[in-house]
Amino acid sequence: MNFDDLKNEWNAETPEGSNISTNMLKIKQAHTPIDKIRAKMKHEFFYQLFFLALMTFIPYLADFSSTVNQVYLMTYAITCGFTAYYFFKFYVFYKNSYDLSMDTRKNILWFYYEMKLNIELYKALTYIVAFIVVGFMSAYLFIEKASVFTKILTKLSPVYILLNCFITILIIGAITELWAWFYYGKYLKQVKKVVDELDYE
Amino acid sequence: MKETEDIFLNLINQHKAIIHKISKMYMKDAEEQRDLFQEIVLQLWKAYPGFKGNSKFTTWMYRVCLNTALIYFKKDNRKPDKALLDENIDVIDVNENEGKEEKLTYLYAAVQELNAIEKALVFLFLENQSHREIAENLGISEINARVKLNRTKEKLQFIIKKNGYEF
Repeated sequence: MNFDDLKNEWNAETPEGSNISTNMLKIKQAHTPIDKIRAKMKHEFFYQLFFLALMTFIPYLADFSSTVNQVYLMTYAITCGFTAYYFFKFYVFYKNSYDLSMDTRKNILWFYYEMKLNIELYKALTYIVAFIVVGFMSAYLFIEKASVFTKILTKLSPVYILLNCFITILIIGAITELWAWFYYGKYLKQVKKVVDELDYE
Repeated sequence: MKETEDIFLNLINQHKAIIHKISKMYMKDAEEQRDLFQEIVLQLWKAYPGFKGNSKFTTWMYRVCLNTALIYFKKDNRKPDKALLDENIDVIDVNENEGKEEKLTYLYAAVQELNAIEKALVFLFLENQSHREIAENLGISEINARVKLNRTKEKLQFIIKKNGYEF
């Protein structure tokens, strides 16, 4: 195989087709993995807002006692605080523009770590919200169903209770990891593949 | 704005062969090639304000085009973009090489079996880039670029031979 001949043909190749026009510059949606993640995060932000708005009606619908109501308000405020903090971080990520004119290594590593960092932030937020929900449920049972709950707890061995706590944490962890992987993992995997190909000696 | 747009369009139309070739190297299917072509043009336009003329326009263009192709994620559900519905963009004619550029047809078929970085190496090599330039574009050492390129050329020869063609 003669690469010089190939080069000559390559350089002589002239593409057919019409010229690139202004219309092509008007497309809004880009398809880099970062753009895909950003678009999904934007959707999630609106879902989260919707659920936070929905959560304000829960005390009216569930008819909580005044003590549970107070606990609920605290839980709600903490959830809002954490959500606001993380979504501010996501917003910074959303607005942080990328520079595709860097060399490939710099560019690909920037994409990889930026995505990884934000997926980890996303997981952290999911863990926090999940534990807040579990915390509130436990408080609710202790306050509202104290007699039944205490009766059940006294019948159970401490090992069994501990085991249940561990299993709950494990389930929350597994769901969070799987969800993050299912939702964002494929993008990270693709970029990681290119990083590995670049590093392969 | 209009003036910038015109200058930009003029520049990329002069060098649109780069985008065509990269799209054909990185995507097998004609529709996917069009999508990638479109994505590259968009990314070039987004990156254009950052082009200060410190390097040649083509040098800057190679980087943006290759980096876009390397991280491009195929569309999940193909839907034509609204902006293009009224425009006849004949980006890639799948039969354009038939009969007249047999070698290139085999080359494009063979590179589909290479990984993303190997495709970048072959592309830059065919674009007459030196080992140093290839190394600078990919962010690797010159020795590494030389070794990787030699391996890739051997692999490419093997694939082309395996596919029943030799030149």
